[in-house]
Amino acid sequence: MPHLTIDGLPIEVPSGTTVLRAAEMHGIAIPKLCDFEHLKPYGGCRLCVVAVEGARTLQTSCTLPVSEGMVVHTDTPQVHEARRMVLAMLFSERNHFCMYCQVSGADCDLQNAALDEDMTHWPMQPAWNAYPVDASHPYFVLDNNRCILCRRCVRACSDLVGNHTLGIQARGAEALLVADAGALLGESSCIRCGTCVQVCPTGALMERFSTYRGLLPQTEGVRSICVGCSVGCGVILRTRDNHLLRIESDWEAPVNRGLLCEDGRFKPLHQQQGERLRAPLVRRGGRQHTAAWEEALRLLAEKLSAAGERLAALISTRQPTESLAAFTHLFRDTLHARVVTSIEEGYATHPALEAALASGQRASLDDLRQADCIFVLGADLYHNHQVAGFLVRRSLPHAAQLILCGAPDTPLSAQAALDLPAGEEDADTLRRLSAENGSPALRQAARMLTAARRAVFVIGRGFAARGSAESIQALLEAAKRFDARLLPLYGKANSRAAVNYRLQAPFKPQGALAACLFLGDDQPHPRLLARLESVPFVVVQASHASELTARADVVLPATTWMEQSGHYINLEGRLQKAQAALQPPPGILSVQETLQRLASLLPAG
Amino acid sequence: MSKPKISTDWLGACAGCHMSLLDIDERIIEIAELADIRATPITDLKEPDADGVDVGLLSGAVNLSTHHEVSERMRARARILVAFGDCAVFGGVIAQRNLCGTLAALRRAYLEAESNDETAQIPVHPDLGLPEDVKALHEIVPVDLHLPGCPPHPDIIYYALKELAQGRIPQIEGDKLHWD
Repeated sequence: MPHLTIDGLPIEVPSGTTVLRAAEMHGIAIPKLCDFEHLKPYGGCRLCVVAVEGARTLQTSCTLPVSEGMVVHTDTPQVHEARRMVLAMLFSERNHFCMYCQVSGADCDLQNAALDEDMTHWPMQPAWNAYPVDASHPYFVLDNNRCILCRRCVRACSDLVGNHTLGIQARGAEALLVADAGALLGESSCIRCGTCVQVCPTGALMERFSTYRGLLPQTEGVRSICVGCSVGCGVILRTRDNHLLRIESDWEAPVNRGLLCEDGRFKPLHQQQGERLRAPLVRRGGRQHTAAWEEALRLLAEKLSAAGERLAALISTRQPTESLAAFTHLFRDTLHARVVTSIEEGYATHPALEAALASGQRASLDDLRQADCIFVLGADLYHNHQVAGFLVRRSLPHAAQLILCGAPDTPLSAQAALDLPAGEEDADTLRRLSAENGSPALRQAARMLTAARRAVFVIGRGFAARGSAESIQALLEAAKRFDARLLPLYGKANSRAAVNYRLQAPFKPQGALAACLFLGDDQPHPRLLARLESVPFVVVQASHASELTARADVVLPATTWMEQSGHYINLEGRLQKAQAALQPPPGILSVQETLQRLASLLPAG
Repeated sequence: MSKPKISTDWLGACAGCHMSLLDIDERIIEIAELADIRATPITDLKEPDADGVDVGLLSGAVNLSTHHEVSERMRARARILVAFGDCAVFGGVIAQRNLCGTLAALRRAYLEAESNDETAQIPVHPDLGLPEDVKALHEIVPVDLHLPGCPPHPDIIYYALKELAQGRIPQIEGDKLHWD
C-alpha cells in the first residue's frame, strides 16, 4: 500500500485510492462540490484542488490517485486562493442569492464551502443571465439558476440508476441541465426515482414535499426498510416534530446502497388514503360505534371462542415478521382456524423452485450487480422491483447483456440485447434454450448464456408462483446448464417471511363464522370484500378507513409501517430491521400488540 | 483623544439593515459611549461630516443615479467604508431586477401589476434620480469591509460596531458569517 503525507500526517492507503478519499479517511476535510462518495470521480468543479510537492500546478484531489512518497498540502495560501477563485466564479455564474433558497443555512454545499473560506462577498458580480425553471415534475422542481453544473444528478441518473434522462445541453455559460433532448422533466423519460434530488449539492433540485419544512440539523433521520416491494431497500425516514418530511435512500444499506424508486421515495408521501382510524369501532344495531379497546377486544375474543375452528384469518405481507409470527401462533396453533393465510394467498414461489433455491442456487442482489448476462423471465423490472431493475439497467450495454423472455413491452425492451416473445409454452421454450435449438433468437440467447461467466435468471412472480411443475423443472435445468443463479421476485416487503410461516392458502372464508383481517396500512383489494359477503362477523384492523372497514363488525385502528419497528425478510432472504420513525396517534396499536392483547383474553390452549 | 466618528446612510435599501442595527437594543448606548454617532438616516444630521468620519456604513445597493453621489461622498469622507448588508455587498434582493431589466421591472410594478388602475405611472421626480441597473457598492467605490446578511444579525452588527468604535477591524468569519 502506498505511503504518503497529507498536511504533515503520514498515512497509508490502498493503492488506487484518490488523494481526496485518503484525506477523508484520515479526518482531513477537503471541500468539494462535484465529487460524491457514491459516484465516480469527475474532476469538474476544481474546488478540491491541493498542492502536491513536485507538481507544476495544483491538482484535483478527487481524480488524483495516491502514489508512493507523495507529499500533499491542503491548507496553503495558494490552495485557499484557488478555492476562493473557484467559488467566486461559481457565484458569478448564476443566481446564488441565498436569502430565498430552501437549503440556505445548513444544507447547501456551495454556501458551506464559501463560509469555510470566510468569503464575505463575491469578488466578481454575476452576469445576470436568467435560466429556466422547470416545475413540470410532480415531485420536484428544477431551478437552473441555482445549478452549478457539477453533473452529480446526470451521473446518478445514468451511472447509478441507468435511466439516462438527465444531461447537459450546450456549453459554457449557456450550459443547461435538461431532460432527454430538452423535454420538460414532467414529460420526459424520468422514472421519478428522485436520486438526482438527493445528490444535488445546491438548491437547484428541490423536492416539493419537504422544501422549506426544515434544514437537516432541525430534523431527525431514522433508518428503516421500505415496504414497497420485496427488494427491501434501506431508507432513512426524515422527520421533524413527528411529521414525515421525506424518504431518503440509505447509502449504507447493503441491499440498495443509495438507490430508491418512486414507490419507495415519493409514493408514501403523496398517496391518497381514506381517513385515519383513531379508535376501535364496534357494530351495534347496524351502525358502527366508537368503542374502547377493552370492549372491542373482549367482543372479539368471545366471537373467536364461539366460532371454534370455523374461522378465517388473513394478514398483510407488509407486516413485520413479529406480526406474522404472532398471527400464525394465535390463529393456527392456538385457535386452529380453518383458513390462516396472507393477503397474497400463496402467490409466492412454487415449492419445487423454493426447494431448489434453498440448496444454494438463489442469487443475491450483489450477484445481479456483478452479472454479465441477465435473463429475465416474465418480469417487468421497469415498473416493479425497480431497484433490482436499476442494477440491471446500469450495467447495460457494456458490463452486462440483457435477455428478456416473455416480459411486457417497456422502455427496458429497447435496452435488451434480445427480447424473446412470450406466448410459447414456458417449459418448451426453456428446454429449447437449454438444448440450443429453436428460433434463431433463442439459439443466440443460448450462445450468450453459454459465453457468460456470471449469469443470473430473474424470475417473474407469474412464472415462479403459477408455473407448472414441468416448467419449473425446465427452468432449473436451464439454470444448471448455463451455470446461472436464480432470483425469483416476491410480492410485498415480507412475502418471504410469509412463505416461511406457510401463509400460502387461498383465502376462502365461506362457511366461517368469523373472519379476521389484519391489514395494517395495506390497501385491500376489492375482491376481498366480495368474498366476505357470507361471513356473519368480520374484523378488520387497518390504519385507514376503506370499503372493507365500513363493512366490518369490529374495526381496530392500526399503526402504519413508519410507526412500528420490526423485521422484514427480503427477496434475497436477508433479515432486516426497520425502526419506528413516527409516534402513532394516541390509542392506536400495532398488529403485533393487538394480537398479543387478544391472545391474553382467550382461554389458554 | 476624541471618540471615533461613525456615520451611516442607505442607498437602494428596504431599511431592514438599519432596523437590525436598532435591534442591538440597549447595546447602542455602549456604542454611543465608545463612538460619536454622527449622520444616519435615523438621526437629525443627514450627511457625514465634511471634515471626515472614521467609519462609514452604507446599506442598500446602487440602483439610482443619485446613489453614486451618496456613495462617493461617503467614500471620500469615511476612513473605513463598510458595505452593510447583502444589497450593499452584492446587490441583494433589489438586484433580482437585473435578471429581467430595470425598465421591465418598473413597468411590471407600476403599470402592469393587477392592483394598478389606468392612472398608474412610473414615478418621476428630480429627487429620485434615474433608475439604473443594480450594482454592488464595491462596483462603484472601493470597500474596506463587507458585512453580509439579509439583514446582518444584530449580534454581528453590535460586534462589528464595537470593534470599529475601538479602532479595530472586525473579523467577519466563522459563525459571524451565518445570519439565518
